[in-house]
Amino acid sequence: MSNELQMVAPPAFKGGLPAGLGTKKLSMDKLMIFVAFVALFIIFSLTARNFFTARNVLTLALQTSTITIMGIGVTFTIITGGIDLSIGSIVALSGTLAVMAANAGAPIWLSMVLGLLSGVLCGLLNGVIITGLKLPPFIATLGMMMVARGVVLTITNAMSKPAPEAFGHLGNDTLFRFSRQFPGIAYPVFIMIITAIVFGFFLRKTRMGRYTYAIGSNEEASRLSGIKVTRVKLVAYMICGFCAALTGIILASRMVTSQPNGGISYELNAIAASVIGGTSLMGGIGTVGGAVIGSFIIGVLGVGLTMQGASYFVQQIVIGLVVIASVAVDQIRYKKKLVQ
Amino acid sequence: MAETLLQVQDVSKGFPGVQALDKVQFELRRGEVHALVGENGAGKSTLMKILSGVYRPDAGTIIYKGKAVHFQNSREAAAAGIGIIYQELNLVPHLTVAQNIYIGREPRTWLGYIDDRKMNVDAAALLAKLNLNIDPTIRLNQLSVSKQQMVEIAKALSKDSEILIMDEPTSALTESEIDELFKVIHGLRDRGVGIIYISHRLDELKHIVDRITIFRDGHYIATSDYNAITMEEIINKMVGRKLENLFPPRQNVPTGKKLLEVKHITRTGILKDISFDLFEGEILGIAGLMGAGRSELARAIFGADPITSGEILRDGRKLDIRSPADAIRHGIAYLSENRKEEGLAIKMALNMNVTMANVPQVSRRFAIISRNQELQATRTYVDELDIRTPSLEQLVNNLSGGNQQKVVVAKWLFRDSRILIFDEPTRGIDVGAKYAIYELIGKLAREGVGVIMISSELPEILGMTDRVLVLHEGRLTATLQTRATSQEEILNHAAGLSLEAAADQN
Repeated sequence: MSNELQMVAPPAFKGGLPAGLGTKKLSMDKLMIFVAFVALFIIFSLTARNFFTARNVLTLALQTSTITIMGIGVTFTIITGGIDLSIGSIVALSGTLAVMAANAGAPIWLSMVLGLLSGVLCGLLNGVIITGLKLPPFIATLGMMMVARGVVLTITNAMSKPAPEAFGHLGNDTLFRFSRQFPGIAYPVFIMIITAIVFGFFLRKTRMGRYTYAIGSNEEASRLSGIKVTRVKLVAYMICGFCAALTGIILASRMVTSQPNGGISYELNAIAASVIGGTSLMGGIGTVGGAVIGSFIIGVLGVGLTMQGASYFVQQIVIGLVVIASVAVDQIRYKKKLVQ
Repeated sequence: MAETLLQVQDVSKGFPGVQALDKVQFELRRGEVHALVGENGAGKSTLMKILSGVYRPDAGTIIYKGKAVHFQNSREAAAAGIGIIYQELNLVPHLTVAQNIYIGREPRTWLGYIDDRKMNVDAAALLAKLNLNIDPTIRLNQLSVSKQQMVEIAKALSKDSEILIMDEPTSALTESEIDELFKVIHGLRDRGVGIIYISHRLDELKHIVDRITIFRDGHYIATSDYNAITMEEIINKMVGRKLENLFPPRQNVPTGKKLLEVKHITRTGILKDISFDLFEGEILGIAGLMGAGRSELARAIFGADPITSGEILRDGRKLDIRSPADAIRHGIAYLSENRKEEGLAIKMALNMNVTMANVPQVSRRFAIISRNQELQATRTYVDELDIRTPSLEQLVNNLSGGNQQKVVVAKWLFRDSRILIFDEPTRGIDVGAKYAIYELIGKLAREGVGVIMISSELPEILGMTDRVLVLHEGRLTATLQTRATSQEEILNHAAGLSLEAAADQN
């Protein structure tokens, strides 16, 4: 049974545990979140029947994969001290564009690549507006949220269109399908794992990742140290756009239709996941591993509460409280650490 | 003789590691402008904070209007009639003049809402009394800085202040604005307000000051009628102290080789046509008063601020510096006076700060950072500079000021910088750690690095440098051989007195 659990929790957070910022104390924080996640998991396993079954865990992983991918993306922008509110709109735009390209006769892989490029382009625009016009990220991406949504509604007339059947493989097919009890691991789960590993490595191990932390921690000091702040920010927003587009394509593929009205307010879930995972909106602090765990806390709460019969509305209340509580705990712990 | 308004007797105040005030005296009469002068760390600000209720004295008495007072907080002091105007304005830019003056104590109507009409009328009357032509309904951010300062004065007086403390009120003002301010100060004096005037600009005192009191190192030195004392005497009493063994023996010998040539650097309104050379192995000091443009000069050379004209040469070759990245590539480093704001990423670990300006040096293929190489490099500098830290991955925020400064130095050494510009390298660092920083600077110069050291502490300039540049209001007023100069001469040039003397002769 524990095998499934390990597949759900992608290896990336293991990489995230030893100190995203290089101190043992910070990794303790991460450990706490992880412990909270495990505790939740155990509680639901004990109280909700059928919660801890292979089938349910796999469903949970599939459902959580999209928020995890978006959460990883937005974590980059938050670490730089920014934010990205346009994620939900990019989800709709990229998925729709990919479906339209496929319907126009482009090969499936090419139409998906085009969808991804549209997301990267939106992210690039966000970054250019923020660094070039020197607008607050909140405003720049709020504008992009409306513009991208307007564009996708205009080009589709707000109507969903079915995609070619082959477009649905990515979202619906599975690997390792053994039996009814173990229905296989869906591709989106693998995509999530790969995304987490790649970007987790990028953030922790590469120069660009280091600079992402540096400008979030002290932009002026970074500039005076010769770091090309503009370039780092562009990359962060492009990564966020890429992750949003990846999510859009997965969702369009799962539905096998374009969803111009889809993705509304997804950015808020992504931000919540990132923040629960210990990312600081002040910038300079956060990890991919944290975002993954944060997403899974939201995912487990959603699935677990549903199985206990709690309504969607009640789930919202609980998740909201978790966001507040986790940040409050972070604040207190962080203050203590600085005083010492 | 006018009535004594305030009497400070034997007031002492200590902070951990520093005796900021040691039994100081001060007296203020009704209707006088009394200047309080002294070098940085003389204790002026501490005394003002005691008078305005921010700090409580450890010992001594304060007699105000004939009675001993013990203010528990700044509100009590304000209520008693002691107003203070800080160097930084404490106003809300988006509110009107009247709203700023009466903020927190707005007149109310009987229904409890704000009586805007009364507030505006009262404010207009108050401003008229100060002979200020300011519309009380205008938004504050539409006023010039000097007018804003006047509003601050009006606000202080609206509380019926009998004592007004002004801390460096002219630091952000232009010449004509200063004249305007002085007129207002004269008017206040004539109405019987006692004014305590703190300023680094000794040259401006003659326009307004009646008496002067001098502090040095937390001690009271002297009080005199302004007419009865010369500028030389004031400066002598301010600096007074002997240079003891505060500085390590000289290790560096400047070679004759020009490392850096700065030619005609100008930045409109801030730097005016500054030229100088820096030699290999030299420590070049930059002295000047607050606002003289010392940091601005450093930032211009470093590419952190744009320049209007001028050029910079290294080893005889012209450099194209448009950003800090360019300057760093040419081996120039700038250690800002604001370590925490501009030098360090304090939420990050020691090792990451050390390598911040040169991450490629510890990277392998594909821009992947090698933790081992990074820690190795950090270990080298922690040993070499004797950085006291429990671990190589300690958050720099948790290091002491002196150690933080060393981390910044390590960052630039790791970048193989050949020209280091230290801006106030020992600010906020305790005495023992200062010595270590001085030793480090001397050692760097001995190894052939060119060091530019900006400092407000003249003993530091005299004890450490080979030559000194003196700036006054963005202009280079003197280039002096340190061995042949004195604090007095430097201060004269820094106060612009040499310029005035030259002008007088013409």
